Amino acid sequence: MRMKATRVFQLTALALVVVSAVQVGWWLYDQHAYTLERVRLARRAYAEQTAAAQALLDAGTSVARVHELLPKIAVTAGRAALDPTIEATLITEARHRSNQYAWEGGFFLLALGVCIAVIARALRAEARVLEEQDSFLALVSHQFKTPLASLQLSLETMALRDLAPERARALIERMLADLARMEAMVTQILESVRLERGRADLKSEPLELRAAVTHVVAALEERARQERIAISSDVPPGLYVLADPLSLDVIVRNLLENAFAAVTPVGGGRIALAARALNGEIELAVQDSGVGFRPADGARLFEKFTRLHPGGGSSQYGTGLGLFIVRRLMQLAQGRVAAHSDGVGQGARFTLTWPQAQAPRP
Amino acid sequence: MSTPAGMSTPAGAARVLVVEDDPHLAAGVMENLRAEGYQVEAAGDGNAALSWLREHACALIVLDVMLPGIDGLTVCRSLREQGNTTPVLFLTARGDPADRVRGLEAGGDDYLAKPFHLAEFLARVRAILRRWDWYRGASATAATAMVRFGGNEVDFRAFRARAWNGESQELTEKEAMILKVLAEHAGEIVSREDLLERVWGYDVFPSTRTVDNFILRLRKRFERDPANPQHFLTVWGVGYRFLPGSEP
Repeated sequence: MRMKATRVFQLTALALVVVSAVQVGWWLYDQHAYTLERVRLARRAYAEQTAAAQALLDAGTSVARVHELLPKIAVTAGRAALDPTIEATLITEARHRSNQYAWEGGFFLLALGVCIAVIARALRAEARVLEEQDSFLALVSHQFKTPLASLQLSLETMALRDLAPERARALIERMLADLARMEAMVTQILESVRLERGRADLKSEPLELRAAVTHVVAALEERARQERIAISSDVPPGLYVLADPLSLDVIVRNLLENAFAAVTPVGGGRIALAARALNGEIELAVQDSGVGFRPADGARLFEKFTRLHPGGGSSQYGTGLGLFIVRRLMQLAQGRVAAHSDGVGQGARFTLTWPQAQAPRP
Repeated sequence: MSTPAGMSTPAGAARVLVVEDDPHLAAGVMENLRAEGYQVEAAGDGNAALSWLREHACALIVLDVMLPGIDGLTVCRSLREQGNTTPVLFLTARGDPADRVRGLEAGGDDYLAKPFHLAEFLARVRAILRRWDWYRGASATAATAMVRFGGNEVDFRAFRARAWNGESQELTEKEAMILKVLAEHAGEIVSREDLLERVWGYDVFPSTRTVDNFILRLRKRFERDPANPQHFLTVWGVGYRFLPGSEP
């Protein structure tokens, strides 16, 4: 409702400003035309006076008398003509007025033009935000419906059928996995909304990359064992980046989750992390032996809700937000992220790059 | 190219292809179909489904709309273009009427929005298979496989027809089914609701206007003057009457 009132206000303001601009434009034209008309009328009056003076002269009136009657007319050698200084004054005055109108009117038109541009821009931005919100909501609800459908199906299967205990347990595991999937989605969606609105209150402090990576890898080691994934980490000590501790953790974790999602469908494999300093920058590469992607899809990976499918294809349980969040957080840390794969089935390599930071003073 | 042959397994259980990229949902759907006695096959994306269908036939395809690669609507459309008339039940996360219509226009038989009730899903599967059983049964003998009227000749088993002007026509399965219902009740009035019920099932289409559109299509195919029909007659406010007329 408030949005609507604002919009009505903006549209009214826009209409008023446009009407004012038209009014100023018309006024400018009108004044200019009026000035030209005045010059024309004055010229005609002077021409009539000159003709009258000439007639008087021709009728034998003395020059002194003619000058007395028509002071603006000069007489030289029996010929009447307009005093040249008067003509010059007339033209100067007309030009002066025209210039004044052009400057004043031009200034007002410029000011109004700026107002129109600002309001139109605001209106367009607002329309774009609304559109984005709509498509975001549509996508979010779509993302939730699949795990919800799976959950409902499992529950109804249990309600409808007499299941052996091991079948029932398998269904319960599946339901728990669906719930975990939805919980992860909620977390990531909130995170991405926070980042999009620019509400993230990020710190910027020198952090040692090795410590951050080791922390995340340690948390994922158990899962890696279960899913037959070998994680290796080659991050030398002493590499510092300027970043927010929490967001650095999210970045590395999301990249590793992404690598897990790529390696699990092919029955396990390798994930290798390696860091180095290069030309004043710090580079962290995450290489996996997973499903890979078509090189053409590389740029799309970081868009919101892009989920590619294994073997052609997507992380089955991804929210499509993980890499989007990585890119956004990297941008906020003045860094960048790139993805490369030689093709489907060829594994993938994600590279994070930050400006190198000085180690904090002890 | 799918024909009645091969739709059922030797044991008589209908074979159902489940095309769903979410492994949990696919597993749940497949387990329940198996528990109901169907033989079940799986495909994880549109390309896998199309290539499986090139080699095999089945009685029903349960098809997710949002698939990686080519989406479900495109899969269905390309099947229909290839002349494959296997019935399709769409599963989708979007369930608004416009999406339903899009699914049915792509050649789908029914449409179920996620999340769905298991009982409803199974009922719809049964309903689709029942309609096809009726259609195949009603077209099984040499006498019932063909209908001739006004110089037109329709082969219900091959979904082909030769029109009065010699043009050969490929019928969609819905057109063939409507014609089948009308031909079974030649000379009688068949209401729009009856046609909907027999051909689509209960609540699939938003309105009976859909039936009218299909009748228009049949008239265009088989009437000498579609504006002045001799075979597919409208009975105002009730439905339609099919008059085969005398065969010249």
